[in-house]
Amino acid sequence: MLEFRDVHYAVDDVSILEGISLSIADDEFVLVVGANGSGKTTLLRHCNGLLTPTTGTVLVDGIPVGADLVAARTAVGMVFQHPRDQFVGATVGEDVAFGPENLGLERAAIDRRVTDALAAVRLEGRERDRIDTLSGGEQSRLAIAGALAMEPTHLVLDEPFTGLDEPSRKALLEHLGALADAGTSILLATHDLRGVVGLADRLLLVVEGTVRADLDPARGLESLVDAGVRIPSEIGGTPALGSAEAGIGTGSE
Amino acid sequence: MTTDTQSVDLVDAEVVEQFARAAVLAALISAMAYVSIPLPFSPVPFTLQVLFVFLAGLLLGPVWGPVSLLLYLLAGAVGLPVFAGGTGGLGVLLGQTGGYLWSYPIAAFLIGYLTHRGVDLADPAERSPIALGVILLAGLAIIYGMGVPWMAYVLTLDLVEAFVLGAAAFIPLDLIKLLAAVAIVQSGRMPVGEG
Amino acid sequence: MLVYEPDDTVAHRLDPRSKLAVQIGFAIAALAHTSRRPLLALTALTLVILWSAGVRPFRAIYAYRYALPFLVFAPLVAGLTLGEPWFDVTDASQSAAASYRVFLVIVVSAAYVRSTPVRASRAAIQRTVPGKPGQVVGMGVALVFRFLPLLRDDVRTIRDASAARLGTERGLLERTTHLGTGTLERAFRRADRLSLALQARCFAWNPTLPPLAFSGLDVPAFGLALLLVGTATL
Repeated sequence: MLEFRDVHYAVDDVSILEGISLSIADDEFVLVVGANGSGKTTLLRHCNGLLTPTTGTVLVDGIPVGADLVAARTAVGMVFQHPRDQFVGATVGEDVAFGPENLGLERAAIDRRVTDALAAVRLEGRERDRIDTLSGGEQSRLAIAGALAMEPTHLVLDEPFTGLDEPSRKALLEHLGALADAGTSILLATHDLRGVVGLADRLLLVVEGTVRADLDPARGLESLVDAGVRIPSEIGGTPALGSAEAGIGTGSE
Repeated sequence: MTTDTQSVDLVDAEVVEQFARAAVLAALISAMAYVSIPLPFSPVPFTLQVLFVFLAGLLLGPVWGPVSLLLYLLAGAVGLPVFAGGTGGLGVLLGQTGGYLWSYPIAAFLIGYLTHRGVDLADPAERSPIALGVILLAGLAIIYGMGVPWMAYVLTLDLVEAFVLGAAAFIPLDLIKLLAAVAIVQSGRMPVGEG
Repeated sequence: MLVYEPDDTVAHRLDPRSKLAVQIGFAIAALAHTSRRPLLALTALTLVILWSAGVRPFRAIYAYRYALPFLVFAPLVAGLTLGEPWFDVTDASQSAAASYRVFLVIVVSAAYVRSTPVRASRAAIQRTVPGKPGQVVGMGVALVFRFLPLLRDDVRTIRDASAARLGTERGLLERTTHLGTGTLERAFRRADRLSLALQARCFAWNPTLPPLAFSGLDVPAFGLALLLVGTATL
């Protein structure tokens, strides 16, 4: 369970989050959408204590994040944009082992977690491969494996599709769907809704530091149009919105 | 949760930020081993590593600047191809140019300490260009002050001979790097202090 | 370029710590001597050490060819004198011997470089340097290795872009400033992203260390290192 209680966040008197309250159950797949600068990245970085609320509280499994950062960071795995800058090892196996090593686990337990995490993203048996030799899609999956090796109950992903070609993007989505089915809650921020909406249980629309809408993506998508979200035709947007591209405003970064 | 979270001693956020910068800057200095701008008027290759010794001290300060250079030297010692000409190995650190290499962390410390007037980071752009220039000259003096005597010792030369062989041709180029370092710091495009 | 290559030579099976000890011993012995007989012995030892790591001598010399001009010019500079006899042969030959031993010290590193993966070096560093400093330098070296290819690409991109935009006739100062600014901006952006990723994965002062263990082979290697140090007193 991930819970925000009236979270405000400001930097130098500039307010970025303005009273976020929400809770996410352990089996939910939640989409977070919002324009650049809406505060969605800031929101996500509160989930594991990378940022601390100016006022308000974030709780992971009932414990305030600040009270036990290690517990929060093991329970909430986080994957950012630009996977290339997130790897610390030269090989696949070394990199995935980094999180469990920091937890001080025995070597046998670390090896088992590496094997399991790589299997979950279909990179089994690739431990000795140099990261430089992986494709973009494989690097994105490896970044997820690095987070999974912490055995989190929640997985938070901030724009993980940036720079991926269509097949890699589809493959990544399938993995996320499978993880959600296996009981890991997913919090996915993206401006690219193609193929995503069908997987999600909930959609949070972030506008100007507040959650403007919290809805079931199978319904209520029309209400997003007013907020400037373009709906891909494949998921039943109105013909007028039938653009092949999906996105919010100027979307990409 | 089976993990005993109390036993994990997390590195503080501010330390992680500075450490990440020090490590990436060390990698950048290493990458510069491959860049040499050919000069039409001189047989001496123009490499930029000294520029980044200056910048490590100016931007990372007297603690993480030297750490960055130490990481660079260690990476070279264990065989990464980070020294001039894309070479690595402990032998290079003990060879004729070893004195220059060992001087880098010390020069970065001196530059960092004088620029920031202590261990807390300040914005180096607030110092006058003249002050920065003098500080960097002091750093350069350390570099040659260690590089030349070591070369003299291992090649059994006297100091003047070692200076002719290993310093004279490089000094004008290092002065250009010094000016470039001041210009870069004052460009307003560099992040300073705690990120 | 000479870098780590997987293989199964004697040197590959040694612990990095004993290989470092041999290199340090070798350097101490070499820097203590410039006369002919010790240099011959060190040359023979260099060949044996290179052989033990599967490095052919010419390959090692080629890898370190950048050092040769210095070592060729050193005896010339040493020999030249202002006035009679204009060239002092004794000075020059002494410096030539000194240059030669320095080249041996450099070339012998090729054995370590080819036989030791960074992961093993990192493990050795963290087992030798205790506590927080060990974690900083051990992880730091691993990160330099990881980021080196990325930054090499950055440098190349910015240099090419600047050559296209500024042309080659711009002044050296301007080109240097441009390259320095551009590469640093990118490097700091990468560092900030790395910092977030390290924190998200619980970067800690007290992690489980990478595995590393001495074997029986390391005993003679340490013996050799001690012997070399001992010869410096002869």
